Amino acid sequence: MILQKLYKFLSSYKLAMALLVIILACCVVGVTVWREAEAGRIIFGTLWFNGLLVLLVVNVACCFFPRMWGRRMTLVSFGMILFHLSFVAILGGIIYNSLFYFRGIIRLTEGEVIPSSEMQSYDAIDKGRFFSFSRLNGETTLIKMHTGYKVKGEDKRAAYEVAVGEANNRTHGILYITNKLTHRGVDYFNDKEGYSLLVILSDKQGQELHGAHIPLQSLVLGKDHVEYSTGYKDNGVVKKDVVPFPGLPERPLFALKTEYLPSKLKERGGEVMFQLLSLDENGSPVRDRPLAEGKAGVGEAFAAGEYLLTAKEVRYWVGMMVRYEPGQPIVLASLWAGLAGMIITFIGRMRQSRK
Amino acid sequence: MKTEYIFFWTAVALYGVSTFSYIFGLIARYEKLFTVGLYSALGGFLPHTLAIAVRWKTGGIEPFITISESITFGAFVAVLIFLVFQFSTKKVKPLGVLIMPVTFVLLGWAGTLMKDVATQIAPALQSWWLWVHIIGATSGFGSVLAAAGLGLMYLLKEKKPGGIYDKLPELQDLDNLSYRFIAGGFIMYGLMIISGAYWSNTVKGNYWNWDPVEVWSLISWLIYGIYLHLRITFAWRGSKLAWYALIALVVMIVSYWGVPFSMETFHSGFRIEH
Ligand code: HEM
Repeated sequence: MILQKLYKFLSSYKLAMALLVIILACCVVGVTVWREAEAGRIIFGTLWFNGLLVLLVVNVACCFFPRMWGRRMTLVSFGMILFHLSFVAILGGIIYNSLFYFRGIIRLTEGEVIPSSEMQSYDAIDKGRFFSFSRLNGETTLIKMHTGYKVKGEDKRAAYEVAVGEANNRTHGILYITNKLTHRGVDYFNDKEGYSLLVILSDKQGQELHGAHIPLQSLVLGKDHVEYSTGYKDNGVVKKDVVPFPGLPERPLFALKTEYLPSKLKERGGEVMFQLLSLDENGSPVRDRPLAEGKAGVGEAFAAGEYLLTAKEVRYWVGMMVRYEPGQPIVLASLWAGLAGMIITFIGRMRQSRK
Repeated sequence: MKTEYIFFWTAVALYGVSTFSYIFGLIARYEKLFTVGLYSALGGFLPHTLAIAVRWKTGGIEPFITISESITFGAFVAVLIFLVFQFSTKKVKPLGVLIMPVTFVLLGWAGTLMKDVATQIAPALQSWWLWVHIIGATSGFGSVLAAAGLGLMYLLKEKKPGGIYDKLPELQDLDNLSYRFIAGGFIMYGLMIISGAYWSNTVKGNYWNWDPVEVWSLISWLIYGIYLHLRITFAWRGSKLAWYALIALVVMIVSYWGVPFSMETFHSGFRIEH
């Protein structure tokens, strides 16, 4: 009894229409009252909204297909079946994907090699319940970052030359914005890039004491006006700041702020501004009285009290999106099949009305 | 003044002439004015085409990246569909009474937003998917605009039969034609959304992100999907659907050009942090 009632409910035209209208209303609210991230949190990312979408698909299955059952197959009905079937397949693809996907952001400096299958290698990770890290076996290497990269005369701006995988199964390639790299079904996309400085600390005699790559943040201050400085990101906004130097886990001697002023003439050339602060007993920087402040060319030494600081070279760091989405081909193929279904129905109707 | 602008504003002026001919033709119930309207639309279409061609040639970039280019191209395809329909059937003479004012206003608006040609196209847009996407979008818009125009014809004929309306096709045929255009537009929107999703997937690795532009396009698509179900499963016909088509058109225009381009989304091109 209850089952019958449930089936009747699920297979009614009215439910279909009601769902379409409710989803439409949610979409309207999700671009007017709330937007983007907020809309995602309040509407599009919620269980109830996705539940509605699932209900819609169940409704298609219960309402559409039984009604088509036994009907003579014409171009029109074939197209419609293809179209509504693609809806069901899309949901299948999405569910399958949600169990097995992996999404992460990996960040490396030129020359750096990072193990791909360790959680710590990624800035942020999101994954499905059944994703297995063994898929990521091997290492990720950033060989070089090419600026102003051109393909058939088109400027792709930034291109990352990358190698991923294990010794006997490695994929090597250049990825840029419309060209991802794929290794064992895992896709690598370019995301963001920036400069990093190799800063060397030495004593007055030139004896090297410490060296580190210090990644710089970029502050876009206007068209063609970008500053590159140590700092951090706060809610997407870059704040200039000092970093401990030498960096953790070693014991820092100072707090260091560096700013890189790229040369317009020479790639990876230019000048570097240093500001050195002492640390108080808690390890916090003493901000009002810098120990030393000044500028030096890339490769030149800057005298800071009893030490020398040298920005020995400029390299790039890049952030890549790493994604494994096994359900996506199903979803995308279904979308195209659905479109084909609509076109077939349309042609079928044109032919019917001509007769 | 640059050649491009001369062509552009000539087109706007001729569409203006067309608009007023259609409107006065309808008010005065004077059929000759519809012919004037049609030929001034055709006359405006030529410089409209040239304005786009000149811009494309000078910049070397697909002519539909900025908002004014997008509107200009959308209006172009809408007028193209209208003209092809008019010259191939000659049945619905006053049809331009909705279509020409809409394109006239859109093109004039585009004129006020016009900027110099960009010198470079954002890397994310360097793909022929852009063409598929834009052709889906613009011909979808052209189709539903025609459908709304036919809906208006339906309502006018239903309200005051006789006179110039006698020459219009039967109500049922108008209704059917309008539905045809909606179904065609629905397919083209489908093409726009699916090619957009596919392309986003190749660039960013995800096909759908619920960003405002995507949601707006989903809204327009759902609106026409609901139209089709009202017609097929609920057997709606005639004036109810004619009104529906007219109201939906307003949503359409807002969702296309009113909102998306003012926001920071994928559609403002990829910004590279560097
Ligand atoms: C709740 C889910 C849905 C159900 C139960 C459903 C059911 C149906 C039914 C019963 C038909 C008519 C078949 C016939 O008897 O001739 C139909 C046609 C159609 N449906 Fe759906 N549908 C659903 C969702 C959708 C959605 C979301 C869309 C797209 C927005 C859509 C687009 C269409 C189209 C394009 C047609 C054919 C219209 C034509 O022939 O011109 N359907 N649907």
